[in-house]
Amino acid sequence: MSTAELEYASHAPAVTGGPRPTIRRQARRFNWLPAPLTILATCSGAFVLLMMASLLAVLFYSAIPSIRTFGFAFLIRSEWRPNELEQIKRNAQGNIIKDEDGEPVTETIPPAFGALPVVYGTIVSSGIAMLFAVPLSIGAALFLVRISPRPLVNPVSFLIEFLAAIPSIAYGIWGVFVLAPFLQARVEPPLNHLLASVSWLRWASWNSTTGRDMLCGGLILAIMILPIITAVSRDVLRAVPRAHIEATLALGATWWQSTWEMLRYGRSGLFGALMLGLARASGETMAVAMVIGNINEIHPSVLAPAQTMSSLLANEFAEASTELHRAALLEVALILLVMSLIFNIVARWLVVGRGQPAAGRR
Amino acid sequence: MYWLCVAAAVVILSLLALVVVYLVSIGWRSMNWAFFSQDPQPYGSDGYPGGMRNGLIGTMMLIALASVVGIPIGLLCGVYLSEYSAGSLIAAPVRFVADVLAGVPSIVVGILGYQLLVVPLGHFNGYAGALALAFIMIPIVARTTEEMLRLVPQSYREASIGLGATKARTVVSVVIPAATGSLITGVMLAIARVAGETAPLLFTALGSRLLTLNPKYPFPSLTKEVYDYATGPYAEQKREAWAGILVLIILIFVLNLMVRFSVRRWQGAK
Repeated sequence: MSTAELEYASHAPAVTGGPRPTIRRQARRFNWLPAPLTILATCSGAFVLLMMASLLAVLFYSAIPSIRTFGFAFLIRSEWRPNELEQIKRNAQGNIIKDEDGEPVTETIPPAFGALPVVYGTIVSSGIAMLFAVPLSIGAALFLVRISPRPLVNPVSFLIEFLAAIPSIAYGIWGVFVLAPFLQARVEPPLNHLLASVSWLRWASWNSTTGRDMLCGGLILAIMILPIITAVSRDVLRAVPRAHIEATLALGATWWQSTWEMLRYGRSGLFGALMLGLARASGETMAVAMVIGNINEIHPSVLAPAQTMSSLLANEFAEASTELHRAALLEVALILLVMSLIFNIVARWLVVGRGQPAAGRR
Repeated sequence: MYWLCVAAAVVILSLLALVVVYLVSIGWRSMNWAFFSQDPQPYGSDGYPGGMRNGLIGTMMLIALASVVGIPIGLLCGVYLSEYSAGSLIAAPVRFVADVLAGVPSIVVGILGYQLLVVPLGHFNGYAGALALAFIMIPIVARTTEEMLRLVPQSYREASIGLGATKARTVVSVVIPAATGSLITGVMLAIARVAGETAPLLFTALGSRLLTLNPKYPFPSLTKEVYDYATGPYAEQKREAWAGILVLIILIFVLNLMVRFSVRRWQGAK
């Protein structure tokens, strides 16, 4: 008999093995509580499923005009132009076509949308964030698990988790008023000079340094995902069996060799922690919208301004006036949602599903 | 390698110090009594720049409305996942979906709120913003409730059955009171998270420069005010934005401290 399903006495006779009361039925209060509570609880559970289903369904349904217009090419087109374009018609030789009055004939090119610049922006900014955050986080997690003296562990963990509690708009303000000017004044001019002077790195330089570019966005994202990667990695590494590490020491391992073995043991959980950080980085809106420069173009340089999917939505959604523009933005939102769902599902499977449930309680 | 790990921890802590020290010091300098008592005044008028009273009251009302919807549903879902999940077909999917929903970008939730609640009504309204915040709140409350209820010892439930109670009566009168403190901390964590959210409010409640208590129309919130001021052109308004951020951080810090201390007390009492 499982402990989860216990037999409740209220449904059994008053005395086990005794005769059922027949002559004088004991007065029994009607149990009015079980039915409503069970129904409410089950409905709440089903409501959560409904929430997820409605999220996917509403976004997909609202994006249909854009999906029908652009199809799969939406993912590889780079042009994002919500307005129509009046262009002078030219014939096959390139000469201007004139009508009867001698005026140039213009044609109207309809709006065109393509998600490639924002997908590129999201991937590159998240990539920069992971590049800076992963070594720092894993190092800090190792510090908390292997190096730190006992009384320091809780305060340091609390402080790192307090980084996670700071709202993203606070990071945005700090980025706009502190980090971006600092980058613009101290970091980017020398970096730009260096990149421009090396011949095979010239593609990575940019013609102006405003401080609000992909690099700044990536750095802010790195600071934002540090606490979540650190916390989950710390839990994963703490769940590594002590006997395993002691065995490596018994075989004569150095500190780093036994620590590497600890990392190797928890590698799937660590990868799940990285995925969680990546999920957070790709979905982050406010901080990125304030520092990334908001130019919807693809440039190979990280010193160029860019746009991520979430910052595009934050900037343009409230002002989109045509139905096609809104549908294109909703298609971008759908892509963002699917990307974040994939990261979250993979992360959860890696951290919880691989037999490390203690680390998944986050 | 050893010292690299120490250096990593030091770097993270110094980054935290950098961020917090800047926010606190500049915010402290910009804070004055007018911030709490006045609404925003237009540029060029007498009381310019005014304060963010409408944002403070707006955020409190949005959190209250979101809690009215989000906390009961989240609590009941947590009860379902912890008490009624044995033998149930949908419990594992519900747990999985609740975990995944907690990681969905909040701007997508705002867009869902726009499509479902703003478009039918024809204009931005505070109810849509509150419900978008509730959407974010429900998975967080459900997960923490489930974990806290699972920590209640099974012997409590068995003792209650031994006295003849039904399962519902056990849950309501024995399990939930035993976990009340930790349930409240879970709720406080969700409120702290939701108080700092801006993106879901961008296209649902939209924001307003007036003090209004009617959620049927565009509704102000502290985070949206701060965003508008920080990205705007006026220097005095940017100072107000710093003060607003400081207030937000103090609120979230206080909530997190309360959570930490009550969890420690609860764990110590066990």
